Amino acid sequence: MNSNIPVLKVENLKKSYSGRIILDGVNLEVDKGETKVILGPSGVGKSTLLRCINMLTLPDSGKIWLEGVELTNPNTDINKMRQKIGFVFQDFNLFHHLTVLKNVTIGLTKVKKIPEEEAIKIAASALEKVHIPNTLWNKYPAQISGGEKQRVAIARALAMKPSIMLYDEPTSALDPQLVGEVLQVIKELSTAGMTSLIVTHELHFALEVANELLFIYNGKIVEQGPPEEVFANPKHDMVKKYIASIYSRKG
Amino acid sequence: MRCAEIFGLGLLGSYLPYMLEGAIWTFALVGGGLTLGFAMGVPFAILRVYGGKGAKAAIDAYVWVYRSIPLIVLLFLYYWGIFPVILGVKLSAMATSILALGTRDAAYETMIFRAALESIDPGQMLAARSLGMTRWQAVRTIVLPQALRIAIPGWTNQYAIMLKDSSICFALGVLEILTRTRYVTISIGSYFIPYLIAGILFIILTYGGTKVFNIVYEKVQIPGLVGGK
Amino acid sequence: MVTLEILAISMPISVLLGIALGTARVYGNVIIRGIASAIVITFRGFPVLVTLLLIFFGLSDFGIYVPPFWTAVIGFILCSGSYQSEYVRGAIRSIDIGQSLAARSIGMTKLQEVLYIILPQAVRRAFLGITNELIYLVQYSSLAFVVGVPEMFAVTKTFNSLYFRPVETFTTLAVVYLVMISVLVVFFRGIERRLAIPGIELTTK
Repeated sequence: MNSNIPVLKVENLKKSYSGRIILDGVNLEVDKGETKVILGPSGVGKSTLLRCINMLTLPDSGKIWLEGVELTNPNTDINKMRQKIGFVFQDFNLFHHLTVLKNVTIGLTKVKKIPEEEAIKIAASALEKVHIPNTLWNKYPAQISGGEKQRVAIARALAMKPSIMLYDEPTSALDPQLVGEVLQVIKELSTAGMTSLIVTHELHFALEVANELLFIYNGKIVEQGPPEEVFANPKHDMVKKYIASIYSRKG
Repeated sequence: MRCAEIFGLGLLGSYLPYMLEGAIWTFALVGGGLTLGFAMGVPFAILRVYGGKGAKAAIDAYVWVYRSIPLIVLLFLYYWGIFPVILGVKLSAMATSILALGTRDAAYETMIFRAALESIDPGQMLAARSLGMTRWQAVRTIVLPQALRIAIPGWTNQYAIMLKDSSICFALGVLEILTRTRYVTISIGSYFIPYLIAGILFIILTYGGTKVFNIVYEKVQIPGLVGGK
Repeated sequence: MVTLEILAISMPISVLLGIALGTARVYGNVIIRGIASAIVITFRGFPVLVTLLLIFFGLSDFGIYVPPFWTAVIGFILCSGSYQSEYVRGAIRSIDIGQSLAARSIGMTKLQEVLYIILPQAVRRAFLGITNELIYLVQYSSLAFVVGVPEMFAVTKTFNSLYFRPVETFTTLAVVYLVMISVLVVFFRGIERRLAIPGIELTTK
């Protein structure tokens, strides 16, 4: 792999729903090993951006490349490319009818066609990385806590050996006391070199984990840079207000 | 004594096994009908939910037509009309009955299974696609296994309905419970007790069959996967 | 036309019976509940044909003769009413206990509470189930031929045995039912809209 090519490159991405503009020309790049965090008020298209990146939502225009392969090209086998994009949903979306272990192996056995035994080994290592003990492996999603669900969901994505992980507000659906364990896992993965793009409202976490912060407002990236810089000296009005509001909310 | 004479109870005892044997035919009708209805209804529902415009319209039309025609009309249309006259095939009364029960059941099965499919959280599909599954792979490995479980109470209901409807096949002379009961009433010259027994037999079969379906439902149940609707 | 006469009488009465049975099974005392349950279990459990044959031939064992037309009407009312009552019962049970408490708190008697507060909500919730049963009833009315009622199917059958044009005659009859039921569905949707109240779903689903 040519190390000059960014893992992810997004160029002039646009998306609108029934006349309402959600994304209005977004450009971004994520290099290997980097962790970027997207911040911004609710309802400004952060989740839409993530879903467009793995084409779960089709963008209206613009281009997306994963390791140099253009995803937006209709000739690209998107199913093949999605295997390389780990996606973590806000509401987990674990498969209700499958056990914890099966949730992690199903992508391996059905999509990658890896034999069951080997798939279990890979899944075991992924589950270990997210600190899910094997006593939970045979439980169904309904039988584990929200924090455990989200960590299993991360393992499910991780097991596919993705080139990048996309996290879509991974802790928004969790009770406050469960947020920490999930953020800890994401941080560990990032620190270990997992290329990541994260949408979150957890400012402290963002500061700790991000190489770069991106602020989205009105469908555009209005400010970006290393966390210390952005926080020390926010330029855009929205960013100032956002940072202030989060601090005041935390008290 | 007089009572026994009126009801022809003495004779009835000797005819009872003959009546009960009708249950085998009744089960054959219901088994065949449900199987055919399932085999048609599940793909129909999948097409209705995931298919193109044309497929959706065709299936809506099928459901509309088959939910409107009384079974007895369908039986006669198949038995005297469509199969012998149009298709030139002479089918037995039994085969015709199963086809009529099944093709009609397919319309209801389509609705039941469509509702089950639509009750599955769209996030399940998204998550499956995010792993790189094709649409069909996602339907097969993620959506169908959940929908099939959710649809079981609906099928249980269809079983109970079809069990009773199968008695209508007496009109073609299929030797199911009601046909046999009729013969018995004519032979012994009394009606009330034989028909009452037939009715109670249907209740027992409904109850017993429903129990079996419920056991299956419990067996395949998964924590957190609620039974639809 | 006999089909329409049968339906015109049995449809409205079956709805009343359904509401009565469903209500009785929730609010009745032990005896009333027992009787209502017995009726519902029996006539939901018996195939329609068995019910018709029991009324017409079975009762003749006791010297009771019910004319074919009335056999059909009574049979259909009992059968459809029993099925409908299940929807009513389910709907009553699904109504928030707070409704009952509130009715009592403003001094209503149990009867007033059921009539003015519970049933108006329950019947709306059971509406889809009730109308579905009425559509079934239209189809099952074709079974009245078994006791010799000259309804549409019986007439068509006779016609066919005279001229033997099975495809044409039975297809025509199928289309007639299709039209009848489609008209009825449109009619019920109309009522459904008129009955609708924001916040109360007209289904038991």
